[in-house]
Amino acid sequence: MSSSIIELKKVVKRFGGRVAVDCVDLSVQDGEIFGLLGPNGAGKTTIISLLATLLVPDDGEITICGHNLGQEAKRVRPLIGFVPQEMALYPTLSARDNLTFFGRVYGLYGSNLKERVTTVLELVGLSDRASDPVQTFSGGMKRRLNIAAGLVHQPRILFLDEPTVGVDPQSRNFIFEHVERLNDEGITIVYTTHYMEEVERLCDRVAIMDQGRILALDTVIGLVNRLGAGVIYLGLPRPSSEPLLPDIRAISQVLTATEEKGRLKIETSNARLALLELIGLCSARNVSILSLEMLEPTLESVFLHLTGKRLRD
Amino acid sequence: MKKILALTWKDLKIFLKDRGGIVLIFVQPFMFILVISYALSGAFSAAEHPIQILAVNQDAGTQAATLLDRLKEMKAFSVETSWEGHVLTLQEAERLIIERKRAFALIFPPNFSAVLEEESGTPQGLTTKVLLIVDPNATKQIAELVLGSIQGLLERASYTAKIPKGVEDFFTPLGDQTSTKNSESLGAGLDEPGSRGLREQRTPAVTLERIAPTGMHVKKLPDVYQQNVPGYTVYGIFWIVNLLAVSVLREKREGTFRRLLVAPVSRMVMLIGKWIPYYLINIVQIVIMLGVSSVLFNMSLGHSAAGLVIVSLAAAATATGLGVLVATLARTEAQISGLTVLLLLTLSVLGGCFIPRFIMPEWLRTVGLVTPHAWALDAYQDLLVRGYDFWDVLPKVGVLGVFAVIFFGIGVWRFRFE
Repeated sequence: MSSSIIELKKVVKRFGGRVAVDCVDLSVQDGEIFGLLGPNGAGKTTIISLLATLLVPDDGEITICGHNLGQEAKRVRPLIGFVPQEMALYPTLSARDNLTFFGRVYGLYGSNLKERVTTVLELVGLSDRASDPVQTFSGGMKRRLNIAAGLVHQPRILFLDEPTVGVDPQSRNFIFEHVERLNDEGITIVYTTHYMEEVERLCDRVAIMDQGRILALDTVIGLVNRLGAGVIYLGLPRPSSEPLLPDIRAISQVLTATEEKGRLKIETSNARLALLELIGLCSARNVSILSLEMLEPTLESVFLHLTGKRLRD
Repeated sequence: MKKILALTWKDLKIFLKDRGGIVLIFVQPFMFILVISYALSGAFSAAEHPIQILAVNQDAGTQAATLLDRLKEMKAFSVETSWEGHVLTLQEAERLIIERKRAFALIFPPNFSAVLEEESGTPQGLTTKVLLIVDPNATKQIAELVLGSIQGLLERASYTAKIPKGVEDFFTPLGDQTSTKNSESLGAGLDEPGSRGLREQRTPAVTLERIAPTGMHVKKLPDVYQQNVPGYTVYGIFWIVNLLAVSVLREKREGTFRRLLVAPVSRMVMLIGKWIPYYLINIVQIVIMLGVSSVLFNMSLGHSAAGLVIVSLAAAATATGLGVLVATLARTEAQISGLTVLLLLTLSVLGGCFIPRFIMPEWLRTVGLVTPHAWALDAYQDLLVRGYDFWDVLPKVGVLGVFAVIFFGIGVWRFRFE
């Protein structure tokens, strides 16, 4: 990984009164797989649509491969491949006809086009079904062809917008392998998803999004480490929690303890040991515990920690 | 250009795989031509719509006026002897027919009464002609009804002018009959001498001659196909609206437009690439419809191939333009179907594709002029039926062009790719 290939500076996108992307700063390095993780409506698709030149930002600046999208979108388009969420294919045409068409749209012709179509069909494992109409394909095969259509013109950057939605586990693994292989060939990939395991498996770096904002951006390990060794949420009766705070902070495994939304949020260096100490403390002070939640250090708990809600809420 | 070709070729391939679309666009109009043409051969009832007949009375005597009074008494006809407050002239009557405002004009010569009232209707006596100017596109059934009725009245006028009062009394029941057939059947009811007398005097001093307006080169009367094919051709080509609008909607729904928007293709190229295949399909459709009608039904295509080409190009541009417009208005396939059926059937009827416009009420005829169907149909009829040539149809092609520009203009302005 080297220089940044995509840069977003203070990008804002509104739809009517709703802010879909709220002052986002972001940079993607050349050759990395970059994940945008967030629940539905977080703004992932809006960001990928802005990057794919489908939308124009209301504010801010986007640069791809050194070209400012505001002035040089035409120069950027041949450099990017876009795989939308939906199967953007012509169902009555064959797989080869679809790829040939999209190749022509990108200016490929003759033997070069033929060669690219054959290569891409092989890459996604559809060579034996090349002449069949797409409408006869399974969901997974359509997904693979959908990706192939974004690759036929050999883009430098590939935008994949939730490419595994509605796909069976076998096809999902197949897609993961393709994405990794493409990345090995040097293609920078921006990947949106709300599946934690996809990000954990594929992405070099992840931006966690919610309500149009980037809440955290780091490697998967970096994000998980932010939770330390776990977070405990402790619900206590109202008058008892505040006097108890100094004693809680004094526990050796506790890093921080704050009151948040009527509960105590306790970040720890060892969640299990800290929990034992906390229960002992409450028992000694005769304070009953109303609720207790322990977050192990995973990406899911990072998300919960950052947003206060689960990823699939 | 190569990208436009790629877009065009892709859509043609998709169209060829859509059997339903092919059936809709090619077969349905033909079914209409066959079924309705046969159904119409004798189905028109004159009593339902009074047929407007212009009358130019140049007769110095009273016989023409009497005949016109009798014609007015018939429920099937309405007779107009004046236009916009002044008495009709021959030139004005011809102009009104050429302008499609009326389909029939009856012209009485100045010596009409003199000839009728002459004692002997013998070969050496006076003769004259009453002219019936007929728009060649007037439906055969209606034209024959008008012709037969006037012929019957002329015979009656001829005999009442020469035969004693008692015979006139015999003809009184003919008052509201509408065809020579009825006149003949009543004639057959006379006693033998009287009947013979009628038949012997059939060598008429007054003859009725059907002619086309000056300037129309009509070699023979149009057949049922020449009368119906233009109407159903125009009706048929506008069904491209449905195919085009559905295709656009699918591109939006399936996300292929979205994918193309990311490609280095301008929106205008995408739109042109989307429009051209349907324009070509429309042209092929017209060629097949007119070609098959010519080969199978021996229908004359007129004498201006260039005229047919320019009218077809303009009609197809208008139809596909309307398709682009409908694609911007409808958001679902059901909306497209509903809108297309509603729009096309209404426009087709108002434009005269099913029922000749000249038998419609005046206000409906005026409304019909705001439909592209009326202008396309008129242009085809000018070429196929009225014997006009390339230059004569150019004004109508111009009007179709205006329709196309308006449809495309609004369509492109309102077009959304997502």
